[in-house]
Amino acid sequence: MSGIAASEQTPARSGTAAPDIGGWQPPSYWPFVVPALIVVLAVIIFPWAYTIWMSLHEWKVGSPPTFVGLANYIRLPSDTRFVESVWHTLVYTLLSVALPLLLGTLAAVVFHTKFPMRGFLRGLFILPMMATPVAIALVWTMMFHPQLGILNYLLSLIGLPPQLWVFHPATVIPSLVLVETWQWTPLVMLIVLGGLAAIPAEPYESALIDGATRWQVFRYISLPLIMPFLFIAAMIRMIDAVKSFDIIFAITQGGPGTASETINLYLYSVAFVYYDVGYASAIVVVFFALIVALAGALLRLRQTTHWNDAGGVA
Amino acid sequence: MLGNIGLGFALLVIVSPAALFFLWMLSLSIKFEVDNASYPPVFIPEHFNWGNYAAVFGSNRFTTYFANSLIVTGAATAFALLVGVPAGYGLARMRAHKAAVVVLIARITPGLSYLIPLFLLFQWLGLLGTLWPQIIIHLVVTVPIVIWIMIGYFETTPMELEESALIDGATRWQVFRYVALPIARPGIAVAFILAVIFSWNNFVFGIVLAGRETRTLPVAVYNMISFDQLSWGPLAAAALIVTLPVLLLTVFAQRQIVAGLTAGAVKGG
Amino acid sequence: MAHFGPTRRSLLQGTLATTALGLTGFPARADVQWKKYAGTTIEANLVKGPRGELLQKYASEFTELTGIKVESEVIPEQQQRQKAVIELTSGKPSFDVIHVSYHVQKRQFEKAGWLADLTAFMKDPNLTAPDLTVDDFSAGGRQFAENDKGEMHSLPWSVDYFILYWNKELFAKKGVTLPKTLDEMAVAAEKLNDPANGIYGFTGRGLRNANMTLWTNFFLDYGGEFLDDKGNILTDGPEAIEATKLYQRLLTKTAPPGVAGFNWMESMASLTQGRAAMWIDGVGWAPPIEDPNASRVVGKIGYALVPAGPKGQYSAAYGDGIGIPQASTKKEAAYLYCQWAVSKTMGARLLQSGGGVPFRNSILNDESVRKGVKMPPEWLDSVIGSAKISKLGLPVIVPVAEFRDIVGAALTATLSGADPEAELKKAHAQFRPILERSEKS
Repeated sequence: MSGIAASEQTPARSGTAAPDIGGWQPPSYWPFVVPALIVVLAVIIFPWAYTIWMSLHEWKVGSPPTFVGLANYIRLPSDTRFVESVWHTLVYTLLSVALPLLLGTLAAVVFHTKFPMRGFLRGLFILPMMATPVAIALVWTMMFHPQLGILNYLLSLIGLPPQLWVFHPATVIPSLVLVETWQWTPLVMLIVLGGLAAIPAEPYESALIDGATRWQVFRYISLPLIMPFLFIAAMIRMIDAVKSFDIIFAITQGGPGTASETINLYLYSVAFVYYDVGYASAIVVVFFALIVALAGALLRLRQTTHWNDAGGVA
Repeated sequence: MLGNIGLGFALLVIVSPAALFFLWMLSLSIKFEVDNASYPPVFIPEHFNWGNYAAVFGSNRFTTYFANSLIVTGAATAFALLVGVPAGYGLARMRAHKAAVVVLIARITPGLSYLIPLFLLFQWLGLLGTLWPQIIIHLVVTVPIVIWIMIGYFETTPMELEESALIDGATRWQVFRYVALPIARPGIAVAFILAVIFSWNNFVFGIVLAGRETRTLPVAVYNMISFDQLSWGPLAAAALIVTLPVLLLTVFAQRQIVAGLTAGAVKGG
Repeated sequence: MAHFGPTRRSLLQGTLATTALGLTGFPARADVQWKKYAGTTIEANLVKGPRGELLQKYASEFTELTGIKVESEVIPEQQQRQKAVIELTSGKPSFDVIHVSYHVQKRQFEKAGWLADLTAFMKDPNLTAPDLTVDDFSAGGRQFAENDKGEMHSLPWSVDYFILYWNKELFAKKGVTLPKTLDEMAVAAEKLNDPANGIYGFTGRGLRNANMTLWTNFFLDYGGEFLDDKGNILTDGPEAIEATKLYQRLLTKTAPPGVAGFNWMESMASLTQGRAAMWIDGVGWAPPIEDPNASRVVGKIGYALVPAGPKGQYSAAYGDGIGIPQASTKKEAAYLYCQWAVSKTMGARLLQSGGGVPFRNSILNDESVRKGVKMPPEWLDSVIGSAKISKLGLPVIVPVAEFRDIVGAALTATLSGADPEAELKKAHAQFRPILERSEKS
């Protein structure tokens, strides 16, 4: 196989299929993939298979499992705590996607222009997303303290009343969203920045020559071109926000009461506090299905707006 | 020019939440409790309490936990690169977009769901007192990142050199090793850095799997919520120590991270 | 403080000669062979707090006594309980000694059979000092540690009674006297409440799960019983509703903002910072309150019994025990450690430092021990007084964690205005099936 010379020239393309040399096909790339495949089988596929198996059993740690078919799944809709956690998850995710998307895009526009110390400032800006979530969350907890925390102090400086932040069911989710937004807006910024950087210069130049304002340039040229990147950012944010655990666990453990209990937090309680691993496994499966459904919805949304993109652009 | 002032102002607004947060974290960590408990808050105290840091390092085994984090993250990342870079290459060349779905599944699945089956597996294998369970389960985090980034990277590298090498009679492996790999160095750097960061920061696996000797830093810092109230100083100091390595890595490797994320890695979903 | 170790050893050695005479004609009682297992190393898994830390602090004395090396670890409560269960289930726990929280784990551990039966050890004179007998433990202790067959699967170590901490200075300032009933207490809290100056009449646990221990004391005072004779849970009945109304009233009208997120740490902070006039919680929190490095109210706090309700005056009691996993291969060595933990020396230290209260009557009643108590005499009085009116603070069921989470969440919800009766009913609709399932398996 290795010595077969090309019988025809294929046009040089960037990084797609293997060169089609005399009808001989790519499978020879399999050895490259096999080691990773073994790892994936062991640490990803095996746990998944086992999870599905467990979800069909009533199994509390300490007693033997008993097969119960779909009973765990049937239990879910009537479990008010689970249903509420779904609702909390949706609200939390929606806010945690929308806000960083908005702020990240604005930040990307700013960082797209050249100015001195841009590299340094950008580095500073991305620190939140790289910092250890648990460590960050603990500091935020101290900042949220109603009497001694610095956030209420800052509010008082601008004349606003002190908030209960994470200590009241009505404000806990927005407070957590604040932390999540603070932490992950940089990621959106980077992705969108990459998109902006990929836009060729000519449309800008001709638009400016034609007298377009900055805003018009952004709205009609930049925005459509960075749409794909916005969707990628939205997808990544959505998946991460739905699964968000470290921040919520470290700051509120799902409280006050169960006001900030998302599906993932509830899963932790069921699996590692109540040791009901059968039921927990069913929650995992349903949780996963939910994420896939959300991702699917987002993809469909992208496809429909894709048709609206200015046709023929790159 | 007004534009410059506007830009400056915008930058200030954008960057200050990050900067101020870390400065406040630093401030909390160098104050005595009496300063930390006072209101209005004290920003720069009269007396600096380096004792908070001493307390953190002096407390049992903190250096052990640091070493644990290094070992777990180092091993998990090294191994991920070993299997993930070739896999990314192979999948990119095979145009095996379906395979990327597995990577996506790994990304979507909540970390907790790996814990129960893998815990039982580790117990059966008798590995529980060692660092191996954590290294192995961290592969769940590192391998998908490496594969995902390398697929994106290899898909955007120019094929001419590779094709000509193949025409000249090189094996796939030789092409990979001598042609593709050197070109992919920036991508590998990005994959490495991101894998290191996400593995270092991982918390959820540690709280279940780690024992007294095998704890990693994020778990250790969480356990520090001590029973006497208001030890914010040591807590902030510990938090800063835990996150400092990745912060430094970000500052020094910032270009690679940004370049990688904005170039090859972000392919059309 | 007198060092009891060597004295005891020499005492034992001294009595060796006399007991060999065998006064009653029975075979001479052999001594505890403390050094029999010298050279072993045991692992102890302890909860972070004054009790666990006490054992760690004096571990070297134990090693001196027995030659057994102890590797111990203190972990925060929630994590310790989880890790313990995970390891015990695996059948190969990494520890030989485990710190048990009876109020949460008793039934779960009994059902799963995780702890070794210590009855034989206790009867073995080679292993157990003569002064340690089952009768020495208080009724509450035996209730905690014995299973339905009367076997002891752990040694009762420290009991926690709920008491009322009150700030005498704040009371004096407003001319309020110490309340004797729950209603008086609510009124007093309202009088003492002064938000403009950052002072609140009452502080207590609002955090779900943790708050159950406070609430149950009210529940008991209103005459509540946890279970009926069929094992049905009764915590949504009229007594529960009354207790919840009181809980809601105290924590919404007269407590610091953010109390819905308070566990004992935050509540204690309010008290020690001089911001709260009253606090009801476990009796073992006295040391930090009287510590000048941590507290601004040293010497100003009074220790009283929890005020009476319409149906009685009770102190909710919770217990810690120390036990040995059935799977341990070093049971005898571990048993010596457990015995040492509840010995007179250590029990005295526990009481004297205010970090806990031993279950053993002989220690509690010993004058020399009492004299050495570092806490104010009022504290010791509240301990003794509470012991007399103590009642188990949580139902003896398997799903205690769920109970505390679900009903606790309902209580926290009332703090933002939800209706007590509706919340309790909703919570119990969720909890009853869980309880049923747990009893079936």
